[in-house]
Amino acid sequence: MPTITIDNQNYEFEGRPRLLQFCLDNGVDLPHFCYHPSMSAPANCRQCLVDVGMPQMNRETRESNLDDDGNPIIQFMPKLQTSCSMDMTDGMVVKTHCSSDAVVRAQKDTLEFLLINHPLDCPICDQAGHCPLQNQAYKHGPESSRFEFQKVHKPKHVDLGPNVVLDAERCINCTRCIRFTSEISKSNQLTIIERGVKNYPMTPPGIEFDDPYSMNVIDICPVGALTSKEHRFGARVWEMSKTASISTVGSKGSNCYYWVKDNQIMKVTPRTNMSVNEYWLSDEERLDCDRFNKNRPTGPTVENAEVSWEMAYKAASDCLTGIDGSRALFVGSAYATVEDNYLLTKLATAVGAPTPVYLAHVEEGHADGWLKTDDRAPNSQGCERLGLHAADVKELKARITGGEVDVLYVLEDDIVAAGVCTAKQLKKVKVILHHYHTTNQTLPAADVALPAAMAVETVGSFVNGDLRAQRLRPAKSIAGVNRTLSMEIGKCRADAHGTPFDKWYNESNLVNCQPGWVSIPEIASRLGHEMQYKGPRNIMAELAESDSGFTGATYEAMGEFGVSLEPIGVTA
Amino acid sequence: MADFIKNPVVDLLDRNPEPVFSGKDLSFSKDEKAQIMKWVSSYPSKEGAVMHGLWLAQEKFGFLPPEVIQLVADEIGMPYADTYGVATFYTQYFKEKKGDYVLDVCTCFSCQLCGGYDILHYLEDKLGIHKGETTADGMFTIQEAECLGACGSAPMLQVTNGPYVNHLTPEKIDALVDALRDGKMPEFESVTLPQDEDELGGNRRTDVSLTPTYGVCPVSETLS
Ligand code: SF4
Ligand code: FES
Ligand code: FES
Repeated sequence: MPTITIDNQNYEFEGRPRLLQFCLDNGVDLPHFCYHPSMSAPANCRQCLVDVGMPQMNRETRESNLDDDGNPIIQFMPKLQTSCSMDMTDGMVVKTHCSSDAVVRAQKDTLEFLLINHPLDCPICDQAGHCPLQNQAYKHGPESSRFEFQKVHKPKHVDLGPNVVLDAERCINCTRCIRFTSEISKSNQLTIIERGVKNYPMTPPGIEFDDPYSMNVIDICPVGALTSKEHRFGARVWEMSKTASISTVGSKGSNCYYWVKDNQIMKVTPRTNMSVNEYWLSDEERLDCDRFNKNRPTGPTVENAEVSWEMAYKAASDCLTGIDGSRALFVGSAYATVEDNYLLTKLATAVGAPTPVYLAHVEEGHADGWLKTDDRAPNSQGCERLGLHAADVKELKARITGGEVDVLYVLEDDIVAAGVCTAKQLKKVKVILHHYHTTNQTLPAADVALPAAMAVETVGSFVNGDLRAQRLRPAKSIAGVNRTLSMEIGKCRADAHGTPFDKWYNESNLVNCQPGWVSIPEIASRLGHEMQYKGPRNIMAELAESDSGFTGATYEAMGEFGVSLEPIGVTA
Repeated sequence: MADFIKNPVVDLLDRNPEPVFSGKDLSFSKDEKAQIMKWVSSYPSKEGAVMHGLWLAQEKFGFLPPEVIQLVADEIGMPYADTYGVATFYTQYFKEKKGDYVLDVCTCFSCQLCGGYDILHYLEDKLGIHKGETTADGMFTIQEAECLGACGSAPMLQVTNGPYVNHLTPEKIDALVDALRDGKMPEFESVTLPQDEDELGGNRRTDVSLTPTYGVCPVSETLS
C-alpha cells in the first residue's frame, strides 16, 4: 500500500487523497481557510502551505539515492506547496509547521497579510469565538501587525438577500461562498467583483441573494463577513450551548445543532451527516427558532382554567373513564416522537378505542429534491410504522360532526387548524389536547389541555422520509424536575449550562410542559393501566425488539447519526 | 492609487441601476451570435468565450451596463454573476458610458516611479476633471490604470484600449490632447529595449527609427 511520511511519521493511504484532507483526517491540524471538503480547491488563501518532497531517484538504476547514513535523499520542491490542492503520491515526504520552520514562517506571514485589511472588530463580531481566522491568528499568526496605514474600507452591513448580511471589510476573499452558489446550490448568485485590494463578494446588479439555501454561506465563511440577518448580534457563541439534534420542519430530518441561550433557541446550524444532509441546511430549517420560544403555554388547563398537573391528569383520566371505546377518537401526531405515539396507541387500546390516526401535513410542490420536502412534519414515517395511518379529513369530519365521537384525544396537533372541524363543533365532545402553543385553534374547545414538550425539549426518535430513525436530544430545559431529561441534557450538552449548580444555569423562559412519555403514562396509571418504562430509551428498546418496523432502532444504535430501517412490507 | 492610500474607501456598487438598453436595442444580430458561438466552440469550456463576448458587446454598445453583461452571459450560457465578475475585474471593460477618448494613465510601480502621477495630475488639471470623470463635452475620460505591460517606456498611457503613448512628458500630453481634439489618434509606436538588441544579435527591428530607445527615463517629481 502506498505510504506517505508526514512530520517523520509514516501513514498508509488508498486512492489519491488530497494532502490537506488526509492530514485533517489523521489529526494533523493544518491551518486553512479556502478549502472545504465538498467543493473545488482554488488554493487562494495560501494558509495551508507545507513543504513537500519526493525521494531523489537515480535515473539509471531507478533506485532512490542514499545519503552517507544510508537514508534516501529527499528532494524538496523549490517552494512551499498548498496542501489543499496537492494530490498524494507514494513515497511523498511532507513537513508541516510541526517540523519545518519555513512552514511556520509562511503561515505567520500569510496571516499577517490576511489581517492587513481585516477590521479586527472581533469584540462585536458574531463569528468571534468560533472564527477560523481568529483561532488561526492566535495559533499561528504574528503577535502584531506592521501595517501602519489606513485599512481599506469596504461596504458594510449590506443585505445580500433576505437572510444574509455582508460586511465586506471582514472578507478574506476565500471564495467559499461563491463556490457554494456555483457548485453546491447552483443558484450562481454570488461573485467576486472588482480587483485587487478593492474586491469583495457581491451579487451582480439586479440580483438578490434569495437562494433557499443562502444561509449555508454563513457557516462556511471562515470569517464574520457573512452573518445571519435574523441572528446578528443576538448572542455571542460562548453564551450559547449547542446540542446535536435533528431539524423538524420537514421529513428530511437534517442533522443540526440547536444553539440555546437563556432557554431560548437562538439559531440552528447544520451538523455534518453524510447520509442525510451532508454539510448543509435549508434556510427554512435554520430559521426554525421562534416556534420553540414564542406563544408557549404557561401550564395545564381544565376548562380553560389553569390547574396543577395532578388535577389535569385526573381530569384527563376522568374523561376516559367508563367510555364506549368505539366512540373515542385518538389522533396521534407526525410532530410527536415515535415513543409518544407508541404510548398513545397503548392508551387507546387500554380504553378499547381503535388505533389512532394522524393528520398528514403535506404541502404539494414544496419539495426541491434536496433538503426541502413536501411532508412538513418530521415523523409521518414513524407513525406509519406504528400502524397509525393518515386520517381521511373528510371522514373524520363526518364522524365528529355526525356525533359519532364522545371523546377526542389529540396528541400534539391542531385538528381545528387542519380543517377537520370547528371549535364549536367540538362542544359536545370531550377533548383532551396535548398542545405546543397557545395559538393552537383546538385549545378553546379543549376540556383538558396538557402543554407538550417540543422537539427541542424532549428525548425521542423520529423516522425521516428516507426511513432513517434518528434521535432527538433535549437542547433546552423545561420547568420542573425530570431526571431523565436532566440526565440527557447533561450527556448531550457538552458545555457549562447543564446542571443547576454552575454559574451559567438559568431559569428564565422555562416552559411549563411535559413530554408525552411523562404525561401519557400518568393518565394511563390513573386509569389503572401501568406503563412501566424508565424513559424513552426503554420504550425504543422495546420497539426495536418487538416491532419489525423498528428492528435495530435502539438509542445505542441510532447514536449520533441514526440508523436506516428496512422498508415496511419487506420484513413485515 | 496614491489618493486611494490616503482615503482607501471602496463604495458599494449601485445594486439596482436603471437599465440603459432595453427591448430590441438589447440584442445581438445573427452574425454576432454566430461569432460568439464560434468562440464558445473553440474553447474546452464555454466560459472561455467570456472575454471575447464582452469585448464584442463593448464594441457594439460602447460600454457594458449590467443588462449588456447579462446578454453576453445568456448568449454564452454561463452564469451572469461570473460574467459580471470578469467585467468588473478589467479597467478595459467600461461599465458606464465613457468619453470619446478614454485616457488610461498607468500609475503602477514602474510608471509611478517615473512620474505616472505627475502625468495623471497634469492631465487632470489640463482637462479640468478628476480621474474616473468625463469632460462636459463628452470627449475625454481619464482613468487610472494598473500596469499595462509597457514598464520599459514608463510613464505611459493608453488611448481607448488602443495605441500606447510612451515616455510621457507634459509636452507630449499637450500634443496628444490637441491631436485627439482634431480627431487624430496617435500612431502605433514600437519600443525595443537595449537588452533586446543584444540578445537578438543586433537584429534591430525594422521600425527602429521610430523608437526612442536610448532616451533617459524621466523620474517622478511627486516621489523625488
Ligand atoms: S464572504 Fe466569507 S466565504 Fe465569502 S469570500 Fe469572503 S471570507 Fe470567503
Ligand atoms: S486552504 Fe489551501 S490555499 Fe486555502
Ligand atoms: S507600470 Fe506602467 S506599464 Fe507597467
